[in-house]
Amino acid sequence: MDARLRRVTREIADCKNDKTSSIKIETIDESPFHLKGSFPGPEGTPYQGGNFEIDIVIPESYPFQPVKMKFITKVYHPNVSSASGAICLDILKDAWSPVLTLKSTLISLQSLLCSPEPNDPQDAEVAKHYMTSKASFEETATYWTHIYAGGPGSKDAKQLNSGDDVAIAGLEHTHVDRFVELGFPKAKVVDALRRLNYRGNNIRNIPDDRVIEELLK
Amino acid sequence: MKVKIKQWNAVAQWRWDTGNKDAADDEEGDVCGICRVPFEGCCPSCRVPGDDCPLIWGECSHVFHMHCLLKWIGTAASKQQCPMDRRPWATAERRVDNAPPPTT
Ligand SMILES: [Zn+2]
Ligand SMILES: [Zn+2]
Ligand SMILES: [Zn+2]
Repeated sequence: MDARLRRVTREIADCKNDKTSSIKIETIDESPFHLKGSFPGPEGTPYQGGNFEIDIVIPESYPFQPVKMKFITKVYHPNVSSASGAICLDILKDAWSPVLTLKSTLISLQSLLCSPEPNDPQDAEVAKHYMTSKASFEETATYWTHIYAGGPGSKDAKQLNSGDDVAIAGLEHTHVDRFVELGFPKAKVVDALRRLNYRGNNIRNIPDDRVIEELLK
Repeated sequence: MKVKIKQWNAVAQWRWDTGNKDAADDEEGDVCGICRVPFEGCCPSCRVPGDDCPLIWGECSHVFHMHCLLKWIGTAASKQQCPMDRRPWATAERRVDNAPPPTT
């Protein structure tokens, strides 16, 4: 049995035997090197109440090369791509060590949700939102947890299967409506305002001309 | 009657003295952190545990199978650091003057 297989098999078994841990690791197909991890969102954060699934790929030279992980569950966080789930975390790159395990790495991802690092972002737009208005950022992150991670959502969010585009983008309905009334399609307005980080105090720096210029692109 | 010994099998138990007296309480204590095989077993590249697959101690007091550690130090990613504490790896003198292993 090769070293990689032996270690991964042992890690999966150890994780299963640990009844006190909230971290789960399971196989998704016949391959022992393509796994799915999951953990609950940390309490006291916008991710509380959600269950977050992680795609895990064990590289050929594991544990001498870092394990590859990305979010399957969509998550609104400066260090996670809102589109692809790619993660910016040092231990998944140059700070990897072979004594790290699948479980300890998943625990690190869980704590990344507690402590965003907006200065080293994976998703620049989300990081800007975080720095401009933390309250508005947290509202959006909570909304994403409700609709994508199975968090305890409001009744409205559950009724709307696809969710509310404006809330998903972390924008205000009043702002979006103002430009929709000028005759621009709603999806385009949401896109433009998200790109411009049309939130909180930043709105003062964005004249309507600038928005319209972006909408005419 | 005269007994002539034609053959004998030595039966003994041994364990590496890793200086970890609380090994029983600490699940991780007696496992090589790199391959996660107990120190009493050999590294994944070897077949027989024992002197052919020795342990290596760092100045920082961390212990690994020597083969596992050398494999890690040989990668560019290691930056020649101890996998546990990321301090520059320095091999310690093998300690032979240790207290006897616990009798429990
Ligand atoms: Zn080892
Ligand atoms: Zn060996
Ligand atoms: Zn060390």
